[in-house]
Formats: sequence, C-alpha cells, structure tokens
Amino acid sequence: MLKFYRMKSKKIIFILFLLVAILQLLAPTKMIYDQENTLKKGKALKFLTEPIDPNDPFRGKYIRMNYDINSFKTKDTIWERKQEIYVYLNDSLGFATLKTVSKTKLEIDNNYVKAEVSWYDNYNNKLRFNLPFDRFYMEESKAKPAEDLVRINNRRDSLKTNITFAMVYLNDDKFVLENVFINGVSIKDLVGK
Amino acid sequence: MNSKLIRELQTLVKNEVISLEVADKIEAYYNSKSPNQSNKLLTIFGVIGSLLVGLGIILVLAHNWDNFSKITKTVLAFLPLLVGQIIVGYSLLKKKSKTWLESSGVFLFFAVGSSISLVSQIYNIPGNLSSFLLTWILLCVPLIYLLKSKALFLLILVFATVYSFDVGYNFSGIRKVPWMYLLIIAILLPKYLMLLKDEVVQNYTSLLNWLFPLSFIIVFGAFINSNFLFELILYILLFGLLYNIGLLKKNDKTRLVKNGFLVIGSIGLVITLLLASSKSFWYKNIDVSNLEIKEILIVILLILSTVFVLLKNNFFKNKGYQKLFQSASIIMIFIFIVHYFDVTVALSLINFTILALGIITIKKGVDTINFTLLNYGLLIITALIITRFFDTNMSFVVRGLLFILVGVGFFSTNYLLAKKIKKNA
Repeated sequence: MLKFYRMKSKKIIFILFLLVAILQLLAPTKMIYDQENTLKKGKALKFLTEPIDPNDPFRGKYIRMNYDINSFKTKDTIWERKQEIYVYLNDSLGFATLKTVSKTKLEIDNNYVKAEVSWYDNYNNKLRFNLPFDRFYMEESKAKPAEDLVRINNRRDSLKTNITFAMVYLNDDKFVLENVFINGVSIKDLVGK
Repeated sequence: MNSKLIRELQTLVKNEVISLEVADKIEAYYNSKSPNQSNKLLTIFGVIGSLLVGLGIILVLAHNWDNFSKITKTVLAFLPLLVGQIIVGYSLLKKKSKTWLESSGVFLFFAVGSSISLVSQIYNIPGNLSSFLLTWILLCVPLIYLLKSKALFLLILVFATVYSFDVGYNFSGIRKVPWMYLLIIAILLPKYLMLLKDEVVQNYTSLLNWLFPLSFIIVFGAFINSNFLFELILYILLFGLLYNIGLLKKNDKTRLVKNGFLVIGSIGLVITLLLASSKSFWYKNIDVSNLEIKEILIVILLILSTVFVLLKNNFFKNKGYQKLFQSASIIMIFIFIVHYFDVTVALSLINFTILALGIITIKKGVDTINFTLLNYGLLIITALIITRFFDTNMSFVVRGLLFILVGVGFFSTNYLLAKKIKKNA
C-alpha cells in the first residue's frame, strides 16, 4: 500500500515537473513569438540617435540609444515621474517624427510607443521622456568602438550629413529594435572592418 | 573516517586510556556513519560544479557572438534549457540520489536564466534587471519543492534579495516597493519551517537562520519610505521581532553561533537604539497624521507579531536578563509617544535603556562565566559613551578620564572573571 502511494506521488511530482518545464520553455518562446510577430506585421520607422555603451551583468555589453525624440513642448505641467505616456509618431520619408504625447490612448491611426516620463522641464515647458527601445546588444569587443565611431563622425561633421539611426518595428504597443545604421550601413559591419 | 580521529584512538590505546575493543567499536561506529558524510560532500561539490558551469554558460553567451545567425542563437538559447530539463527529468524518474537532484536543479536554474537573457539579446528587448530577475525566479521557484532542493532554496533566497534591492533602492529613478518579495518569501516559508522542525541542528538550517534575517533587514528598507527617525523606529521594531524569534523554544538547542535571528536582532537593536539616542535625530517632529497607510500597517503588524512572539516565549512568567532586550522595541514605542511631550525625557529614557542593556549583559556574563556576554555588555556601554561624546559638551579632561575608566573596567572585569574560573576549577 505504502509502495503504491510512493509510486503515485512520484508520478505526480514528475507531472508537475513537466508543467514547470513547459512554462520554462514557453517563456522564451513567447518572447520570440512576440518579437517575430512585430517584425513581420509592424511598421518600420527610423529614429535618429546617438549611442553610448553600458553593461548588464547577465546579458553582456550593449549600446544605449539617446534618441533625438526625447521631449515634447506642452503647457500641461501635471506629469508624474515614471508615468506611462503614449508617444504618437509621424512617418516623414521613413524617419519618425513626433506628432503628440498623450496620457491616454488616442483614436488616431498613427503609430505609437508607450514610454515613461523622465521629468517635466518647467523652464522650457518641455516634457522629457525616454523611448523604451534603448538597448542594442553587441559583441563585447564592438560596443565601445561603435560608440567612438559615432562620436568621431559627429564631431567632424558640422553639416550633419552623417546620420545615425535605429531601425525600429512598431506594432500596437509592441516594438523591436532591429538594427542600428550609420549612413545606411549596419553598425555591426562598420565596426567589424 | 578521518585520519585525525584514528591517530587519536591509537594514542588513547597506547596510553591505556581505552581498551583495544573500545577503540575498534568507536572506529566501527564512525565507519558506519561515514558513507553518508562522503555523499554530502559529493552533493556540495556537485552543486558548486553546476553553479560554475551554469554561470560560465551565461557569461560565454553574454559575449553576444555576432557571427552566429539568429537561428543559431535561438538554438543556443534553448539548448542548455532542454539539457537541464532532461537531466532533471531523468533524475526524478529514475529516483536518483540527492547529489543528482541538487546538481541538475542548480544547472537548470542557470539554464533558465541564460535562455531568457539570450532571447533578450537577440531581439534587443530593453527590460531592466529587476523584471528579468523576477521572471527567472518565478520560473524556478516550484523546483525547490519538486526536487526538494536545498541549493535552489538558497539561490532563490539570494536572488529574491538582489531583486528587491534593485527595485527598492533605485537611486537614479523612483523607489518602488518590491511586493513580489513577499510572495517569494511566502513560497519559501513552508520549506523553512519544515527544516526547522526536522533538521534544526543541521549546518544548512543554521545558514538559513542567518540568511533569512539578513535578507529581511536588507529588504525592509525598501518597504518603508518615511522620514529617517520614523524609519529608524520601524527598524528597531524589526530587530526586536527578530530577537524574539531567536528566543523561541525551537532555537533553544541551537548554539549562539547558529542562531542568526538572536545575534542579528541583538546587535541590530543596540546599533539602532544608539542611533536613536542622539539628540540630532529628534529635531524634526513627526506628524503621525502625515504617515501613509502602508507604514501604519507595517507598524501595527510588527507590534502585533512582536507581542504574539513575546507571549509564545512566556514573557511574563520567565525571568532572565533577556527580558529587557525582548521588550526594548515595545519600550521604544512608549518613548516615541513620550517625545511628543518632552524630547529631553525621551532622550534620557533611551540612554538609560541602553545603559541598562549593557549592565545586565555584563552581570549575566559574570554570573554565568561567559566572556562573550561580558565583553558584549562592555562594548554596549563603551559605544554609548562614545556616541554621547559627539553631542555633549564635556571637557577633554572628563572625556579622557571616562575613557580610562572604561578601559580599566575592561581589564578588571575580564581579569576577575578569569580568576573566578580558576577558582571554580
């Protein structure tokens, strides 16, 4: 009898383990599915940017994006830090430009990104925020050279003919930062040479 | 069986302290126990091995290999995870030894981490460290119970603390309350209570007796967000509770070194009381009506649980030097109320409490011939005197004399106690 129970509990434990294992497999699969779906169905927009390179203890080196779209002029002064906002965008020849910022979802067709408020600048009447797709992972030896490359390019270039932009796919509130380009060439290829 | 013991037995036989038969019996007894011992060692090394391999995999993947295609990277993300799951599944099905379960469990833990992090890399998913850690922890928490794994228990406790630290003490952004920490602790608690019941003398349980209160005092600050004086009082309440938990009957048999609750509670109480005994902390009056509901609830919860544990410890029937330590946090609340009427009275009450704590500890140390207690008591009084030097205007002569007095006190009490031991022996 006791043996029977032991067999049974062993079985239950194994089934429970299978459930946990499935969950563990589902988590990364769901992440991949969401991202691929966005790449397939989403709208591609180019965001002008300037990268800097920080570290993550588990995920390695990445370059952090400072986007040109980072503030919105508004007379409304009531914003909380870390408040969720909807940033609506226009498509100007493939490049993203800011249309408007709203505290709630609007009934318009423009693409949008959910972002967090950094702070409200009372002096300039500007709402400062950061776009969420700010990490671009790179091979550890390449992150720093990539940042240097962009900085040197920008310094020499007073006429702003060099442009660095991030290619981002947007689909509802999902997004994927697919690649970063300097003058149309992928930053990974530029640094690799 | 360890060679030191064998040598010791040989000398004992040689000097005719024990007979050859007794020596044989002792050897046989230890030999019968030793296979267990080597198994334990194997488990520990197995766990350390999989810990290193798992961390290694994460680091190698964090290199972000550019020349791998997206598909290769995706396969790499799932490969360690699947390998880990298969080994764990095999160990469960074949009823493998503890060594197998523990090591494979730890490997699977890190495989889960590496797979989520690699997917984040492939698609440049931003997400901060804390949300990544939380997903990781929640995906692995059930394994603690399914594999009966002690190593995973430790890992999850440490990771939950790191997660809460990252959420709660975000110095650049806004501090959030790590509510999920409570959930994780609630999941861990039954297993811990089980260990306390069945394996209270084991080294592993004593390690937890230290790690749990340490984790609590680290994370506690993330839950409270008020002015400093009030946070200090909340911490005094927490330390009082930890101390009382350390005194519970279950911990009676454990030695002081293994009773982290008691030691951390006691030292924490003294330090926080010393901080509160300084005049500068009491300048800002706290308007109680300004406090958030969360803080008030925490106060009520801490007081209720302290009183509950006090009653469980038979506080009113027992006699002992610990009584003042036990009730110090409750006394502090009384003092806090007093400070609304007169700050000076409140301050002197705190100072007297600390002094009394020092004196009774010294007395207990002398009575029971315990050097640790004696010097602990002396340290409390010394610390009190030193802190008073900073906020009172005593002349240097008086300060110097006081220091000499305390120094002489250290020497003489220790000397007298040593003499007492000799006399008794």
